[in-house]
Amino acid sequence: MRKIGFFNLMMGAVFMAVPLVALLGSSDAAAESAADNYKLYCVQCHGTKGVGKGINAPVLAVAPRNHTSAKDMGELTDSGVFKAIKEGGVAVGKSTQMPPWGGVLTDDEINDLVKHLRGMCKCEGKK
Amino acid sequence: MKRLLAISGLLVFFAGGALAADGKALVGKFKCADCHKMQGPAVKTIADVMKRKAPDLFYAGSKFNRDWLVKYIQNPTKLRPGGVVYLNHIKLDGDQDTVGKVLKCASKLSAGDAEAVADYLMTLKDPDMKTGVFKPGKVKKARAKMVMLKKEACNACHMFPKKGGGVSCPTFEGIGSRLNPDWMYSFIKNPRKWDPKIWMAVRDFDDATLQLMVNYLSSLK
Ligand code: HEC
Ligand code: HEC
Ligand code: HEC
Repeated sequence: MRKIGFFNLMMGAVFMAVPLVALLGSSDAAAESAADNYKLYCVQCHGTKGVGKGINAPVLAVAPRNHTSAKDMGELTDSGVFKAIKEGGVAVGKSTQMPPWGGVLTDDEINDLVKHLRGMCKCEGKK
Repeated sequence: MKRLLAISGLLVFFAGGALAADGKALVGKFKCADCHKMQGPAVKTIADVMKRKAPDLFYAGSKFNRDWLVKYIQNPTKLRPGGVVYLNHIKLDGDQDTVGKVLKCASKLSAGDAEAVADYLMTLKDPDMKTGVFKPGKVKKARAKMVMLKKEACNACHMFPKKGGGVSCPTFEGIGSRLNPDWMYSFIKNPRKWDPKIWMAVRDFDDATLQLMVNYLSSLK
């Protein structure tokens, strides 16, 4: 391994500082836990308890999925759930009232959400 | 030359800037910053969003129409049926979420103070926002509603006049008097430029669709 001298470190720090400041200044936000993402983005329709009874639910033409139902969620594959979250209901032949979150969440965050939902329904995805 | 510039600068100051300077002092006096963020940047984490008491005002000059501001800060009305951060106002009724108590804006300025504060708020502009993007034209109401209600379901979260809608974010009632169309265009295109943790989905709209929607929204006075 190559030794890194103090001067190199200092120079590195200076060069690193520039993109770091640029990063902090951009609107790119840090990754969040699945539980927090679920609260902020999903609870408005799917509800505090995840049963599909959020504050917006009464005005929706289609009831939001009950994420705690092993029966309903067990019928969906993990890749289907991923696709529904990323691209919205329309992409999986469901209602457009389920919005696409791909512009909001990273693929990693969506994968974490899929796992989070599997914890909520205590069920596995259809194979 | 320098002196000439200084003098003309002073003239401009006395003509328009004086009110804005008063406005800034009034914002301090009435403690608007106790609830509103008057300086950017916007918060970037969910934990910080949860602490938000009122909408950010540090880009008010890009966002609002001045006439609306003058009226609103004298006599504020409810704009967000579910509160500023809906998560903080949920009341459970069995397993159905309902909206509990929400806060209204505390501003109660006199007409004169409101003019001065509005002048100041209008100076708080985002230098990066493109202006003159929105092209006013004939409102294609049926076409716009087709896109916004049927195709994109904006009403899942936003209230439409007469039609109703969701409560987790601002109502579209009166939005045309309230907001600058160029800002609406920018916000719908990329909500996260303005608020990195806002609970609105980002959709990939082309210019024609954005114009159609903003045209319609601007007509909701
Ligand atoms: C604006 C309301 C709304 C929001 C916000 C929302 N959903 Fe949905 N969601 C729905 C509706 C309505 C359905 C039911 C669609 C149907 O059955 O046609 C649904 C269905 C689903 C489904 C089932 C898809 C399928 O194939 O059956 C999953 C999974 C889901 N939502 C996850 C999420 C997650 C995760 C979030 C947050 C990132 C979220 N939803 C946010 C309204 C919403
Ligand atoms: C006690 C907290 C509080 C104080 C103090 C306060 N406001 Fe507000 N303000 C709010 C809340 C809450 C809202 C959101 C109301 C709604 O959406 O229904 C709001 C909304 C606004 C809006 C509309 C913002 C938007 O994006 O829709 C403006 C403009 C505004 N306030 C200006 C002021 C001014 C100017 C002052 C000081 C003179 C002030 N506020 C003081 C709580 C406050
Ligand atoms: C999942 C919920 C949701 C959906 C669906 C949604 N929005 Fe939003 N929208 C929001 C939130 C949250 C805000 C910002 C809240 C705030 O400023 O307090 C917002 C703000 C806006 C604003 C600025 C409004 C204001 O008064 O400050 C416009 C314009 C807007 N949305 C247009 C649209 C359009 C057009 C659609 C459909 C293509 C749409 N929204 C769909 C959640 C949503």
